[in-house]
Amino acid sequence: MGRTLPSITQSLNEEQAAFGRFRRALRRSDQTALDELFTAARQHLAAAAYAANLLPMETFLLAMLLEEHKEVARLRVQVEALQSRLLDDV
Amino acid sequence: MTYEGWLLDLYADGPRGVALWLVTDDDRRVRLCQRFPVRFFAAGPGPRLRALWRWLRGREPAPGLAREERRDLFVAERLPVLAVETADPAGLQPLFAEVEREFPDLTYYDADVPLTVRHAAAFGSFPLARCRAEADEQGNVRAFEVLDSPWALDPALPPLRILEINLPEGDPQRTPPTRLELRFRAWKQSYPWVAGSAPAAWLRAALQKLDPDIVLTDYGDTWLLPELLRRGQAPLSRDPAYPLRTVEEHTYFSYGQIVYRGQQVHLYGRVHIDRQNAMLWRDYGLEGILENARVTALPIQTAARISPGTGISCMQMQTALRDGVLVPWHKQQVEQPRSMLSLIQSDFGGLVYQPRIGLHFEVGAIDFVSLYPAVMVRCNISPETQARPLSQPPAPNPGLIPRTLAPLLHKRVALKTWAAKLPAWDPRRKSIRARTAAQKWLLVVCFGYLGYKNARFGRIEAHEAVTAGGREALLRAKEAAEDLGFAVLHLYVDGLWVQQAGCRTAEDFEPLLAEVTRRTGLPIALDGVYRWVAFLPSRGNRRVPVGNRYFGVFTDGSLKVRGLDARRRDTPPWVTAVQMGLLECLAQAVSPEDLKPAAAEALGRLRRELARLREGKVPLEDLLCAQKLSRPLEKYTHPSPAARAAGQLQAAGKRTAAGQRVRFLYVRGEERVWAWDLPQTFDRRCLDVGMYRKLALRAAADVFQPFGIEPEELYALMHNAARVPLFPLPV
Repeated sequence: MGRTLPSITQSLNEEQAAFGRFRRALRRSDQTALDELFTAARQHLAAAAYAANLLPMETFLLAMLLEEHKEVARLRVQVEALQSRLLDDV
Repeated sequence: MTYEGWLLDLYADGPRGVALWLVTDDDRRVRLCQRFPVRFFAAGPGPRLRALWRWLRGREPAPGLAREERRDLFVAERLPVLAVETADPAGLQPLFAEVEREFPDLTYYDADVPLTVRHAAAFGSFPLARCRAEADEQGNVRAFEVLDSPWALDPALPPLRILEINLPEGDPQRTPPTRLELRFRAWKQSYPWVAGSAPAAWLRAALQKLDPDIVLTDYGDTWLLPELLRRGQAPLSRDPAYPLRTVEEHTYFSYGQIVYRGQQVHLYGRVHIDRQNAMLWRDYGLEGILENARVTALPIQTAARISPGTGISCMQMQTALRDGVLVPWHKQQVEQPRSMLSLIQSDFGGLVYQPRIGLHFEVGAIDFVSLYPAVMVRCNISPETQARPLSQPPAPNPGLIPRTLAPLLHKRVALKTWAAKLPAWDPRRKSIRARTAAQKWLLVVCFGYLGYKNARFGRIEAHEAVTAGGREALLRAKEAAEDLGFAVLHLYVDGLWVQQAGCRTAEDFEPLLAEVTRRTGLPIALDGVYRWVAFLPSRGNRRVPVGNRYFGVFTDGSLKVRGLDARRRDTPPWVTAVQMGLLECLAQAVSPEDLKPAAAEALGRLRRELARLREGKVPLEDLLCAQKLSRPLEKYTHPSPAARAAGQLQAAGKRTAAGQRVRFLYVRGEERVWAWDLPQTFDRRCLDVGMYRKLALRAAADVFQPFGIEPEELYALMHNAARVPLFPLPV
């Protein structure tokens, strides 16, 4: 029961490990942020597997961006709601 | 004379052909004999085939020889072959072995097809088939006709006489037996297990008086029947001409695990099933074995002991024989070279999503029914065909694999639909469940066999086409759900969890099922509607979801648990009971408002269980861990707890092989574990109570986390609670 290719989870782990030196040189607070980005990429492993990209890191970067964008969109809605509440108060 | 009844057994009977045992309508057991010549084929260069012809012509008795053209599934043109026919079905194997030794360069076909499969292909026969036979005074069959089909949903089965031979004390190789118990319908008799020939004599009397069709034993293959026969004569087989047949023990490697199969004892004209040596007896019992035999056409005794892989392989052979397709003796096809890109695009399995972590209310779980076999049939996936995408209509001329699978798949779907309509008290539900469980294994294995390098009708590209079809079906289902306004919480290979405000009964999900079936052409069913379901994160990182770790309660109150400690076989029974107990408390909550009191009750229960542990009230048997040795003892560099326990056993002179489970307790001190099977008595004071407390709390933490109680909080709660009985707080 062997596999010819690494699974998508293995690929992500390898890509993450490949950035080990980069991570080491980051400040502790930045290290946490970087780890969060990889955690975000993990949310879309199934889609990344289905994409079957020759360079999986491309897909992982896009997955990170996607989660970031969702967060921005969520925050934007919140800011707008707060703004309108502020204006109402005024 | 005409006989009508059921076919019980079929085996080679020398030059006369095959022996058929019928259970007739007037409850007689009749042995008939049918002429049944069998053939194998050889292919290769002309001069070599001619040499084989000359070699065979000189033999005594001379086999029938003919030049023919036949179809090999993997070759485009029809193949010129030499057909070799013997009148004696049992004579084919020795003759073939000689031919193969003499002419190893030729390619052989149909050489190792089981006799019952050949008979099935020729007459449509199968074990327990309704049949009619015309025979002369000597019992020689003139005409033989099968009256029903293995695909009948509710066939009339013969009134079989079943004799049970039990050893109430369990494994005779561990504990020497003291009693022997015989059981036949309502009659039961216990005998002392004495030395000498008496036990054999009691069995002989029972066999002569009761004349059973099925002999059901425990350890009959590996110990009991050989031991009884050693003590004295007993007519175990019904056919006096053939006493019995033994198959040697063997060990093999399957799905990454070492499997040991004990010796087998087969009877003639009567069926012997050893419950301890039968495949998946605990899963589907006798009903499942009979179903397995009916659909694979293998003798009942064989069907009870073989792996589902052999079963499905025999079904494929039957299809091939019926279609005049050659059955390769050894597979010759190897994988074609291919590009890296093609591997990247196709060499992967089913889609496993990351669920939305946390607690969700009113969730529908829907599953494709036997997804991979259904894809094989729907997309016409077979080694000789070009797979059709789901977007195209089904193929007009299905290939060998879809033709083999389709009736089995349709039967399973029909049986499941029927069972769902029966009331809960109906006894047929249990029987249908056993039969569909047997069919399930055949279907599951069929997918694996497409990719197995030694499978006769396998091809890795076909195997990959199946997973590709599965992924496409799942994505179509996801799109259908989203189009109908559902939120997709999770997708897992063949199932999805969906949610929509207001959808809380089975009827609410019917439009979705219909839409998915419309878009995929595959059957899909509602597994159930959850009152609530919790998807758990990874233990290592609480933000990372895990595909198969969840628990939930269906609207009927039943629990579904996956990936928790309670599901693991190495978890001590007490930890399992604690975790399941907590879940049962929570399962009582019908609405979100009920969850708070239910969680409070669960916390109380956990406290009580931890107190029982502390007070030494949990029986030691319930604290046993049973872990598998993953490799031979000397191969461990950092011994696992199981390896340390096995080391203790070895020091005490008890050997444990790789693949066996070792039972142990966690203890304080250097060794940390105590092997349960050590001869010394265990001192309870050594027990590592702290370790068990940790295991229970970890299991409990998984249950409580989705309800907002974080592990640290739970530990703190339980830590304080532990002191409450000692220092009661002033109220």
